[in-house]
Amino acid sequence: MFGEQQRFMVLLIAPAALLLGLFQVVPIVIGANASFRDWALYNPKKTWVGLDHYKAVITDPAFLEVVLPNTFIFMIMSVAGALALGLGLALLLNRPFRGQKIVQTVLMVPLMVAPVIAAIMMRWMFNDQFGIVNAVLEGLGLEGQPWLVERWSAFGIIVLTDVWLWTPWFTLLLLAGLQSLPKEPFEAAAIDGTSAWRVFSHLTLPMLQPVIVVCVVIRAIDAFRTFDIVWTLTGGGPGRSTELFSLYAYVLAFLNLDLGRGSAAAIVGGLIILVVGIGLYRLVDRVTKT
Amino acid sequence: MAMVRTPLMFARLPVGGRRLLFGLAITGICLAVAFPVLWLILTSLRPESGVYYVHRGTEFTLASYAEVLLDERLVQAFINSALISTLATIFSLLVTVSSGYMLSRFRGPAAQTWFGTIYVFRCVPYISWVLPLYFVAQSWGIYDTYIGLLLPHIAVHICFFSWLMKGFFDGIDPSMEHAALIDGCTRWGAFIRVALPSAIPAISALAVLCWLFTWNEFLFALILTGNKVPVITVVMAQFVTEMGLRWNLMAATAVMALVPAFLLALFGQKYVIRGLRI
Repeated sequence: MFGEQQRFMVLLIAPAALLLGLFQVVPIVIGANASFRDWALYNPKKTWVGLDHYKAVITDPAFLEVVLPNTFIFMIMSVAGALALGLGLALLLNRPFRGQKIVQTVLMVPLMVAPVIAAIMMRWMFNDQFGIVNAVLEGLGLEGQPWLVERWSAFGIIVLTDVWLWTPWFTLLLLAGLQSLPKEPFEAAAIDGTSAWRVFSHLTLPMLQPVIVVCVVIRAIDAFRTFDIVWTLTGGGPGRSTELFSLYAYVLAFLNLDLGRGSAAAIVGGLIILVVGIGLYRLVDRVTKT
Repeated sequence: MAMVRTPLMFARLPVGGRRLLFGLAITGICLAVAFPVLWLILTSLRPESGVYYVHRGTEFTLASYAEVLLDERLVQAFINSALISTLATIFSLLVTVSSGYMLSRFRGPAAQTWFGTIYVFRCVPYISWVLPLYFVAQSWGIYDTYIGLLLPHIAVHICFFSWLMKGFFDGIDPSMEHAALIDGCTRWGAFIRVALPSAIPAISALAVLCWLFTWNEFLFALILTGNKVPVITVVMAQFVTEMGLRWNLMAATAVMALVPAFLLALFGQKYVIRGLRI
């Protein structure tokens, strides 16, 4: 039935497709089934409830007014912060100086740190009683803050942790991008005595744009599903004010023990990021083609 | 191009002053980036009572590390994390190298469909499939087992790594493989003996990344395991809530969890940078 080439192609992807099917497609289908049922632990019948869970999720004020805005604000702030810092550091590393290799290694450090560990570090540094941040503030004669007890300072620390974690990722990829740019335009600009800022805004930035867009898209989609650092830093608190989408679905399913509604939330979030993702990929296509 | 970009604010200073300012700025940036890690190490070296005034006093001790090493659950968690990371790296490379090769070397509906599939699944948030995987794993009897944690860890990298491997193979000229085919080599022979050896830098880069991702992953183990398969990230997160006041122990555990990742990254850095540039 298959030619020799077809058999080869199928065999090459068969193990990957099998794993993807068993561990992503099958759970998503079963999760979709659960999202239409009363799949709670106390109800062994798993009664069909239709779209009730979806209605409950998209009309939940906690979801609409806290979780969704949080998720998108987090996505924008953490990607923008890491991009700006990462680009700055990549430009810095793109010039030879003594000790450049060591500096590069130090700047890559956060890349190896598990998000859970990064969150633990930040939690300790911003501890209201014994943390170094408050100790320094008090040393300067200022008042220490209960950082993780107020909504926006807690949210800010979550963003800060994420920016710290992912800046090196941007640095690494943008540096690779910078080093692959052609040299001639920059040499010409040097001969003309063009100012550093004009070289950056008229040469470097436009030439680097495709790399930047790809990095931003990949990172933005990953930022949408952030879970570890929120869980470890605030657990979604104070109250539920710093919950992001992944945590919201997790809390519904495993703390409220309502697997049906949790599955519905997981699917709603998946659909949102799918739409955002397709939009962003379109953008990549347009940018890389022009 | 490098000398073009002398920042404006330094331009009017004499060369010596400029270099001094640059050196200071670089040192400041490095310190700011590394500070949380340095602070963690310092905390881990302080005695139980000194931890609360970690910025004062001069007493240092390795007692916290000794206590961590005597904790059976923590040691088990380290072993589990190392085991699962290593196995996940080996198997996920085995399946994604061939899948990336297929994407790179073939055109047509089959390749396009597969590419579209991994494009879409790359976007799916982990929670959307790991949450229902919780009850799928229970009905398959693999909840809270090694295999039940290992297999999702292999599955999760399929999309991203197939895509990266496709890029790497795109950069390798296929004419050598065509020559091997004409010389009577089978397709498998051309893939394994001709294409694979030239992809080794890329494979090493992916191995380093995969090991780090798996070692650092948290959500899978949180949802898919109970008590039988402790891994280091989950045990540490439990620490924060259960032993929230013993920061010296927490810091020592975290430092020990950082060491393997640091060593791997230090030795693997050149492979990653070389591999990503292809």
